Amino acid sequence: MEIVVITIVSGLVLGALYALMASGLSLIWTALGVFNYSHGPLMAFGAVVTWTVIEKLGFSLLPAAVIGIVAAALIGAIVERFLVRSFYGNRDLLLLSCMTTLTSMIIIEKGIQIIWGSRLKLLPRIIGGEINVFGAVISAHEGLIIIISPLILLFLWRFMASTQTGRSMRAVGQNQEMAHLIGINVPKTYLLVFAISTGLAGLSGVLLGGIRFVLPTMGAEPLLKAMTVIIFGGLGSLGATTGAAFILGMLEAILVQFVGMYWTPSILFLLLIVVLIFRPTGLFGSK
Amino acid sequence: MNLKLNKKSITILIISILAVLVPIVVKDSYIRHLFIVSYIYGIVVVSWDISLGFCGILNFAHMAFFGIGVYGCGILVKTFNVDPAIAILLSGIIAAVAAAILSAPIIRLKGIYVILVTFSFGQLLLQLVYSQVNITGGALGMVKIPNLEIAGYSFIKDYKFGYYYISLLFLAISILFVEVLGKSPFGKSLKAIRDNEDYAVSRGVSLAKQRFLSLIASSIFTGVAGGFYAVYFRVASPEVFSFNPMTLAMSMILIGGVGTVWGPVMAAIGITFANEVLAGIKGLEEVRFIFVAVLMLMVMKFSPGGLYSLVGKIPIKKISNLFRGKEVNG
Repeated sequence: MEIVVITIVSGLVLGALYALMASGLSLIWTALGVFNYSHGPLMAFGAVVTWTVIEKLGFSLLPAAVIGIVAAALIGAIVERFLVRSFYGNRDLLLLSCMTTLTSMIIIEKGIQIIWGSRLKLLPRIIGGEINVFGAVISAHEGLIIIISPLILLFLWRFMASTQTGRSMRAVGQNQEMAHLIGINVPKTYLLVFAISTGLAGLSGVLLGGIRFVLPTMGAEPLLKAMTVIIFGGLGSLGATTGAAFILGMLEAILVQFVGMYWTPSILFLLLIVVLIFRPTGLFGSK
Repeated sequence: MNLKLNKKSITILIISILAVLVPIVVKDSYIRHLFIVSYIYGIVVVSWDISLGFCGILNFAHMAFFGIGVYGCGILVKTFNVDPAIAILLSGIIAAVAAAILSAPIIRLKGIYVILVTFSFGQLLLQLVYSQVNITGGALGMVKIPNLEIAGYSFIKDYKFGYYYISLLFLAISILFVEVLGKSPFGKSLKAIRDNEDYAVSRGVSLAKQRFLSLIASSIFTGVAGGFYAVYFRVASPEVFSFNPMTLAMSMILIGGVGTVWGPVMAAIGITFANEVLAGIKGLEEVRFIFVAVLMLMVMKFSPGGLYSLVGKIPIKKISNLFRGKEVNG
């Protein structure tokens, strides 16, 4: 019985993290049709900026986290403005934007390594201590991730559904020309989408920084997982991505528990291939 | 193929003669080593062009096939005591088999899903290499892979003289293959799929079959290059699956020009040398990655067809006519 609870709880933690990361990627994809590789290193960037503000300026975690998230969003906006914008409307947009964001990933990753070095850093946890969930003991920080992530996603969903800005983002994703015609500032909206998405990356980095070491490459493995989530669930809607994230988190927790760390990635990949063979646009994909 | 003595074939002839003469002029084994490395990258990028450039498959698994060649050769030589010369050729087949397996999902997918699957395929292999320590050596990789020896001649002798010509031969074969393929009906059908998928399909081109074949053709050469890499460097390290070699090779294609044959080859040579020069300067070891990345961004922004697309635009005729004092016509 206890093992079941432990598996479920660790699956929830994983799912919450994946949902947060994948929803950012999915947001950009839905609006722009661009896959943003700099999402991974921007997680590290958000975390490392937060760390610096705490260590060097003596801020407490929350204001520092806000600064870190804004910094990640700012870099995201720069990536959109200078590396992605010139390719809109190009028939090779997908390949070109993949390459430019991939190079920006290298630049950010190496930049972090040059500026901050590779000394191991750990962010303070939002709340210390441990909590007991029906017999499974996890850190309170991880417990908080399980709660924060769905709240943020809920907030994001409401934002996209009912605010003027959120709706214009969806409009631009559905039909750029029409959106332009009814007076939506398309370039500004794209910039905003990128900033919000990469801000989410920064937030995931800050949350992850309390559990794992803050390294330039700390975002690489989560990025891969977020990619898997996206393939699995299909791109297109926030709900699909979130659902897929939690399913995948659960699956991973179960596999790690019963098959072991080593074979889990391979089995997940095989499963992914099987899903794709029968549903080429993912489980809940629409296009 | 009809051999007309046009400008292009003369240039190619001159380049080939120069390439053959390099080891006679260059005695330094380090410079020769750089040539060999750039030729390996040359094979990788030229063969990548078949699937990415001709067929338009967003194949990000090409370096993974290279890595499969590296590890396939390493395992054949170290675990099964296969002769390195045979192992190099077999690694091409191993990579092709891997490509055939991966193509099962890829040929039916579209756009971003192809990128995501091929990309995660490479990362999966990386994790497999890390976890199967007994076979692959884990994070340390496989070391002391035996040298290439044919008929009693060890290729490490004479300042890498033999290795130079082997790599040049492989590069020449792959360039020739891709050139011939590009002009063949098969190559044309690949380009048709890339340029207008619906129209190509309606004219009877089998989308799945051509994509499958282009992936196989593309992976064989990079697999052989990987096998050669393993024997030449005498190591197989998990780094081949990481982001850096992939983006480096990708930047060669994009800087050289997607879909062209000679652009990426020239870019491979140029970037390999530039990269090494920068690596030698103290304090620039990490910055050089940023340097290549920025260079690629500049080329993509200002000359999206790659640097090769500029070749035709340089008005050579006008300049030479100017020197001869002739009237410039057209």
